[in-house]
Amino acid sequence: MFRILHDTKFDFIKWWRVAAILTVAFIVLGLGSFALRGGVNLSIEFTGGTLVQVRFAQPPDPADLRALISHAEITQFGDPTEYTLRLQGAEAIAEQATTAEGVAKEVETLLKTKYGDGFTIVRTEAVGPKVGEELARGAIIAMLLASLITLAYLAFRFEWRFGLAAVLSTAHDVLVTMAFIKLAHIEVSLTVVAAILTLLGYSGNDTIIIFDRVRENLKKARKEPLYDTLNRSINETLPRSVLTHVTTLAATLALLIFAGEVLRPFAWVMAFGIFVATFSSIYVASPVLLYIERKFPRKESAGKGLYVSAGQARAESKAEVESPPKPIRGSKAPAAGRR
Amino acid sequence: MTNLKYRLLLIAGLVVASIWALWPRTVIERVKRDGVFVFDTVKRVPLKKGLDLQGGMYLALEIDESRGAVVDKADALDRALKVVRTRIDEFGVAEPVVQKVGDNRIIVELPGIDDPERAQAVVQQAAHLQFLIADESNALERALPRLDQIAKDLGGPTSGGALGDTAKKAQVSGLQKLFTPDSGSKGADSAKADSAAPPAPTTGGPISSLLQAGQMPGEFYVSEANAARAEYYFSLPQIQAAFPPGKTMKWGADTLSVGGSVYRTFYVLDSRPILTGESINDANPNNTPIDGTVVEFQLDNEGGRRFRTETAKHIQDYMAIVLDDRVMGRPPVIQSAIGTRGQITLGRRDLQSAQDLALVLRAGALPVPLKIAEVRNIGASLGQDSIRKGTTAMVIAVAAVVFIMVVYYRFSGLLAVAALVLFVLYTLAVLAGFNAVLTLPGLAGLVLSVGMAVDANVLIFERIREELARGKTVRTAIDEGFHHALSAIVDTSVTTILTASVLYQYGTGPVRGFAVTLIAGIAASLFAAVFITRTFYLAWLSRTRGAQALSI
Repeated sequence: MFRILHDTKFDFIKWWRVAAILTVAFIVLGLGSFALRGGVNLSIEFTGGTLVQVRFAQPPDPADLRALISHAEITQFGDPTEYTLRLQGAEAIAEQATTAEGVAKEVETLLKTKYGDGFTIVRTEAVGPKVGEELARGAIIAMLLASLITLAYLAFRFEWRFGLAAVLSTAHDVLVTMAFIKLAHIEVSLTVVAAILTLLGYSGNDTIIIFDRVRENLKKARKEPLYDTLNRSINETLPRSVLTHVTTLAATLALLIFAGEVLRPFAWVMAFGIFVATFSSIYVASPVLLYIERKFPRKESAGKGLYVSAGQARAESKAEVESPPKPIRGSKAPAAGRR
Repeated sequence: MTNLKYRLLLIAGLVVASIWALWPRTVIERVKRDGVFVFDTVKRVPLKKGLDLQGGMYLALEIDESRGAVVDKADALDRALKVVRTRIDEFGVAEPVVQKVGDNRIIVELPGIDDPERAQAVVQQAAHLQFLIADESNALERALPRLDQIAKDLGGPTSGGALGDTAKKAQVSGLQKLFTPDSGSKGADSAKADSAAPPAPTTGGPISSLLQAGQMPGEFYVSEANAARAEYYFSLPQIQAAFPPGKTMKWGADTLSVGGSVYRTFYVLDSRPILTGESINDANPNNTPIDGTVVEFQLDNEGGRRFRTETAKHIQDYMAIVLDDRVMGRPPVIQSAIGTRGQITLGRRDLQSAQDLALVLRAGALPVPLKIAEVRNIGASLGQDSIRKGTTAMVIAVAAVVFIMVVYYRFSGLLAVAALVLFVLYTLAVLAGFNAVLTLPGLAGLVLSVGMAVDANVLIFERIREELARGKTVRTAIDEGFHHALSAIVDTSVTTILTASVLYQYGTGPVRGFAVTLIAGIAASLFAAVFITRTFYLAWLSRTRGAQALSI
């Protein structure tokens, strides 16, 4: 039997403080950049505007292109012969108010003056401002609704303490992923929104699997503090977490490397999100659960042997480590960053 | 073991059903051959490809209210939808989609189209056809002094006439020279034109100085340089209010070039149409030696009757054919009562545009003007690229997952891989069965669900390992493993399906494809992991009775 990370006894939760600092710093960095340097890079689907993807016979000089069509944002798109021209400015949109496709035609005429027949337009997209607004609204509603539905399901399947912890950790994942999108200048298109929503489901999965094990271990009614139960559950599910993430990451990396430029933003967000989902199920969901259990202890716990007033229990059993209520209080930190 | 037998039968049955669902079948379809669309039988795998994989055009249309508000929008949109659908059906595209989205938008999908501009024109053309009698009473000439006065009072974009009198006269004579042979050949109408021709306006009013009388009653020329100014004056509400009652003016569709200068024509016409395009029964393009490209039309019985009586009243008058506010060709003189047939002259335009005009006339006019709210064009070559890249990614992802599973779980990994193969087969079959559209994000969803599909197997295998480590027998360990992993597997599948459904509800086109493949993938993976792998284990256990060790 070939096993990795079998029967490990890592004290994962001990490192919650480092993890919290890292994740809060990342979120703050993302939000800071958001505040200082303006919003995220939205695709024309949301802002309205025109995108023209051109395939040239010969790799053109980008400077030439920029000089030719000065009002467009010009980026190389994968191949050195492929470029996208984006016209998202207010004027471009105003121009579109009359005809959505007019701008694209203009670009084509301009390109003809310089390159003759040495190019083909392989894709054009023109979105009116009204459609863009609607799509943006739809995306936001979709995200909120998906979060709510996930919350409701988790609350229904687990009791509310677990559900809340799972939802907070999922929210953390979405927030960190958004910070990543901002910091890595990934263009937010509908496909990227789809990736975020998929992550929402996916990050819930990880937490569910660990909590499922926690629930099972709690039923065994061991005289063990929740802190240790959580650690043990994480360790027990560790091989699964690692293996699943390796396979999913392999699939995502295949997308990132081979599936071409169109899917690349999607693949980046997925790859990063999968990594974050693992991280948060260990370092966000579990400390948050500890905190909630301490704040709202179960009344029946003493009688039934569900030994979950974690703070005290932890203090009794492992006196050598720093007193636990502090880390628990501190586990507010990621939650605060979220608000 | 009968239980096992039924399990295996079910799996085999589903495999047969999936293969049947995916087997290339012969369908009758419009395909493009040598530039024309013909119906033909083609053999293909019944998986629909989205526009981003196939290439094509996507249009979202809205009611254009820039030229006046529309009262009953919902009704207007429904009628417009019908017209657009008829036009697109005749346009000749394999599997077009025309549907209403929400209550204010029509979307049109034209896969595989290579002339997007033409398609757009066909969809958007109002095709509002009217037959109007040209004004015989010199109404505009008589009204001109009044209009000039109004224009003067209002002040124009520039003051005074731009053209000197001499220059104007030279142009007029040039024009007359050009048209002499033309009107001569028409015999009767040239005589009529001469007799009815008013004296060329010589007053220097802001409007009248722009105009020159044409060759027939109600016809005027404006040089290209002055056209914008004339258009400006005639669009003024004050001028429109003072326009002779019962008359209307329409610009000609074509320009005239005379001795290097370009002229536009406009016509003063009776504002009440004697007939509209609604009565058109049939229309066909034609190429005639005299008139060039024409569209011949045929009226229905009632329209024909009406046309006959109306034209009988107007013999020796000129009749303008007005399409979307533009007079097509030069209005012909009515020689005798016209019955059910007629033609629209398109002058220099090619047969393709005649074909398109005939098409839109057959389909009828759009009840409201439509504007384009969103347009996407994807070239076919880009679509092929996407398919190739997506497939490569898929193959490599599957290979990587297979490698990891077999190396880590050995024999059990092989079972999981076998289940994975069935998973892919089932997923594709479900997509084909539901007529889902495969898009590029959809391919990504498929790749992703391959990665996630093994998650369930991993959960089960890890659990079995734990149970084995606790010293349970192989059979009990397998039973326990499946039993304990089930709740987590169900929970994870349900959350993912829930978010994917939300995505489906709010997403458009490609993203919808992603949601659909994700849902199909998760449903299939649930079945593959929980049912198929389990069955494989049962089969293995029944063959090796009392197995002491499990390769996992």
